[in-house]
Amino acid sequence: MITITINGKKIKLNKPVTILEAARKSGIHIPTLCDHPMLEPFGGCRLCLVEIEKMPKLQASCTQQVTDGMVVWTETEKVVEARRAMLEFLLVNHPLDCPYCDKAGECDLQDNTMKYGPAIGRFKEGKRKHPECYDDPIIVTNMERCILCSRCIRMCSDVQGADAITITNRGNKSYVEPFSGGRFDCEYCGNCITVCPVGSLMSRLHKHTYRPWYIEKEVETICSFCGVGCSFVAQIRGDSIVRVETRPDLGLNKGLLCVKGRFGFDYTVSSARLKSPLIERNGGLKQTTWAEALSHAAGKLKEVKEKYGPAAIGAIASGLCTNEDNYALQRLMRSVIGANNIDSTTGFFYGPAQRFFEDIFGQGATLNPMQGITNSDGVFVIGADPSAVTPVLGLQVRAASRKGIPVVTVGHMSGLKRFATCSLNPDAFSEPALLNMLISGLMKKRPVCGENIFFEDIIKKFMLSTSDNISDACGLGKSDIDKAVDELNLMTNPAILIGRQVVQRSDASVLLLQLSVLIYLLNGRIYLISELPNDQGLVDMGCQPDTLPGGRPVFSDSMRKRYEDSYGAEIPSAQGMRLMEMIQAAHEGKLKALYVMGENLLLNLPDTGYVKEALLKLELLVVQDTLMNETAELAHVVLPACSWPEAEGSYTNFEGRMQHVKKAVHGEAMEGWKIISEIAKIIGVDWDFLTVVDILAELTKVSPVHKGITYSEMDSGNCLWPYNGEPLRDIAKDFVLPDTKLIKREKCSGRSYLSADQQLFHSGTIGRNSSALNLLMPASYARIGSALNEKLSVKTGDTASISSGVKSAELDVIIDPDIKGMMVFVPNTAADKGALSFMKWSMNKDFKNPALDGNEIEISKLRSKAEEVAA
Amino acid sequence: MIVKQRAYEAKEALLMPALYAAQREHGWMSPEAMKSVARALDLPPATVKGFATFYDMFRKKPVGKHVIQLCTNVTCILSGSEDLLSMLSDKFGIAPNETTTDGRFSLVAMECIGACGTAPAMIVNTDFYENLTKESIFSILENYK
Repeated sequence: MITITINGKKIKLNKPVTILEAARKSGIHIPTLCDHPMLEPFGGCRLCLVEIEKMPKLQASCTQQVTDGMVVWTETEKVVEARRAMLEFLLVNHPLDCPYCDKAGECDLQDNTMKYGPAIGRFKEGKRKHPECYDDPIIVTNMERCILCSRCIRMCSDVQGADAITITNRGNKSYVEPFSGGRFDCEYCGNCITVCPVGSLMSRLHKHTYRPWYIEKEVETICSFCGVGCSFVAQIRGDSIVRVETRPDLGLNKGLLCVKGRFGFDYTVSSARLKSPLIERNGGLKQTTWAEALSHAAGKLKEVKEKYGPAAIGAIASGLCTNEDNYALQRLMRSVIGANNIDSTTGFFYGPAQRFFEDIFGQGATLNPMQGITNSDGVFVIGADPSAVTPVLGLQVRAASRKGIPVVTVGHMSGLKRFATCSLNPDAFSEPALLNMLISGLMKKRPVCGENIFFEDIIKKFMLSTSDNISDACGLGKSDIDKAVDELNLMTNPAILIGRQVVQRSDASVLLLQLSVLIYLLNGRIYLISELPNDQGLVDMGCQPDTLPGGRPVFSDSMRKRYEDSYGAEIPSAQGMRLMEMIQAAHEGKLKALYVMGENLLLNLPDTGYVKEALLKLELLVVQDTLMNETAELAHVVLPACSWPEAEGSYTNFEGRMQHVKKAVHGEAMEGWKIISEIAKIIGVDWDFLTVVDILAELTKVSPVHKGITYSEMDSGNCLWPYNGEPLRDIAKDFVLPDTKLIKREKCSGRSYLSADQQLFHSGTIGRNSSALNLLMPASYARIGSALNEKLSVKTGDTASISSGVKSAELDVIIDPDIKGMMVFVPNTAADKGALSFMKWSMNKDFKNPALDGNEIEISKLRSKAEEVAA
Repeated sequence: MIVKQRAYEAKEALLMPALYAAQREHGWMSPEAMKSVARALDLPPATVKGFATFYDMFRKKPVGKHVIQLCTNVTCILSGSEDLLSMLSDKFGIAPNETTTDGRFSLVAMECIGACGTAPAMIVNTDFYENLTKESIFSILENYK
């Protein structure tokens, strides 16, 4: 126990901390400029100087550790004089253009000068001049105001790991700059803007549009972009979000945000926003009233049900919608329509992967707290680049790497390139062969532990059936494999991050089994890289054809009964159709009506031409969405739903944490769950849902997992799996070993394959409607490696024509020397040129999701950029 | 690269020699030169830029074939280096930090180069000259074509 006295107040501390930290904990304010709670102590600005008894000179409290018996005074005359002197120096070059500066009102320098500062500077020479820089679309830099505290630099390199900015030059001419001097070309996380204490780094999006004291309301809410579920404060003025701000102690992101969360929220006010219901008349969508739209949708649903039976109706849920919306939709399907035909694009990756691991390791095996990554002793990443699709999760991996924890990555991951201790980049689609080598290498060093005899039997069988090992099957050398095995062998409780690409392929079950073996051998914890804000919630709400809310299987009579009693309706015991089965059924004319909630099928399903044909054959297509999109254009009824900041609700993130999404602004549209319950009412079932509280109350009653959850519990931030509920603890003993024979693939001699690029800036569905994110990624592109470019001989910016069996288009080329082999990466962000629209698919027999591997593509140079400019 | 990486624990430690090597090749710290150093050492380009712009030894703009670095610190000034500097300026028609139109010489006024005992002194490229006089300085420079 250490006892110190600050300003006469006795403070007891368990461990040595800095004086500043001790003061903050006991509520004593010490002014700082270079120190920030999210950054390491720096000791640069000298504003936090304090007087310590028996020490001759003033000490910087941010770096000085406490010792027992220390007596500290923070506001003596000597200290105040020193602070005034420091501020006078800082103001030597600071322009004092406060009336014009966006930071005024929330500026640390302004506040401190007001408190301590000299009213008049004694410096006679002129201030340095450096024009404000508008070269970047998002970040404005004003280096006249910079006080060189280096918070932004430390944030960029020590926390974000982007290393995009630096202090150039020296002395009086020191400026914070990106490499280009103008455009940042970075990850645009904007965390540098958060930490800038003055108005040097500012967001261009709301420059000169408001003053901090104009903010009328602040709402703590959850980001709507990915499955991490970062918290932030939405600042509102006049019923619109002016900007989002983070707090160092708020949520699980602890003050960090990514480009999508910080700058992308303006999709909610884009011109594509749906505001009034639309109905199809004379071949076009026309505005209509809510009453007509709802009664038409409900009447037609009823008609189809009576004419063709409930199985001819399907519904698509969405990970972009709240738990409440998804719960209402599954209730509509199960209790009012009477079919289990409900699925979503979450069923392409997240759902099946989770089910597979839960069958082996028990329910909830994939739900692990995020901070476990930095507290583990190893990280293994496969299937997606977390620093692109879920950037704040990616930061955890980077932080782990910075702590010296070994990080092994499999596949092309540009965001983790500098952070992986071992990056394995196998040939296209040869991950199973690579994992085989890793497992057999690891098993030689680390025998199975005997904990789960059932699973070890499977491992033995599995290893037998794959023993016909193939050397150089994955295009990596023996030394690479040996190094990876050595790194893996160091790990005792690693975090295993698994992304989309391991499941959207024909040999997904082999890969998942291999990963399970690896997880078992390494004692790993699973993290599924969830790309939508409510992937997990959607699964929990029973928006899958084979599970009820709470993850209870629909075929179990005893479990189904609980829901039937509560809903007062019979639920069919047979598993419903999966998403691609619904599309096939619609194409064959068996599915007659489809209710699509918050999903753009013509962007996020493969072979969009085929999907469009299927949708056109439907007798009823109802689209409930917040934004106009290609799918809605084909609809018979379009029902505008409230967007993310306009409605209450909850999201469940990838760690199984339920978080409260709060209403921040007023919307013209109707809440998603309300639309659904209105339809149910017209069909003839009144649910009595008046607010989301009623839905949550029903959910907590029927779902054994969600027992007793309230919104105030979510607000505490600790509403974490398994809540207060009863998860299914038993592990499936009837686990069937999937066909473990490795698919023989021909060596890709000169053939190019298409893969969806993982985009940091936006993922298409909602992000493409954000003007800010579109500034960063205005158009689609094809990213190719050097090997392919030897054949093509193009330069970045040239135009190439790419064509698959189903589609061809022109795309600009980007050369990325890190890409191995002949892969072509196209982002899935634009409906007309999205990667998925080029792709053929086959049904994966184990998961009934589309397998997208082996999509060959032809690419050829069309014209160079120079020719284009000349024309 | 002259220096083997294993002699250094952190990649950043290689940065100075690498920047010198790049400057020898490119003549100055062009963005391309900094990028190639960043690529060779697997360091972020911004970090390289921060280093390269901090030190005066790395040229921020293209220079002539030969760089005359004349000391203009206290001892050299007292021994007449100011006169030498203006003579050079007049002769080649360039102010300090400028380059002759034929690209032969660049002139730089240096801070102390540690030759106070034998002032005035200068460095041409990497060659050191001391006890300069109005006569000797031009005959020395004759050797740099």
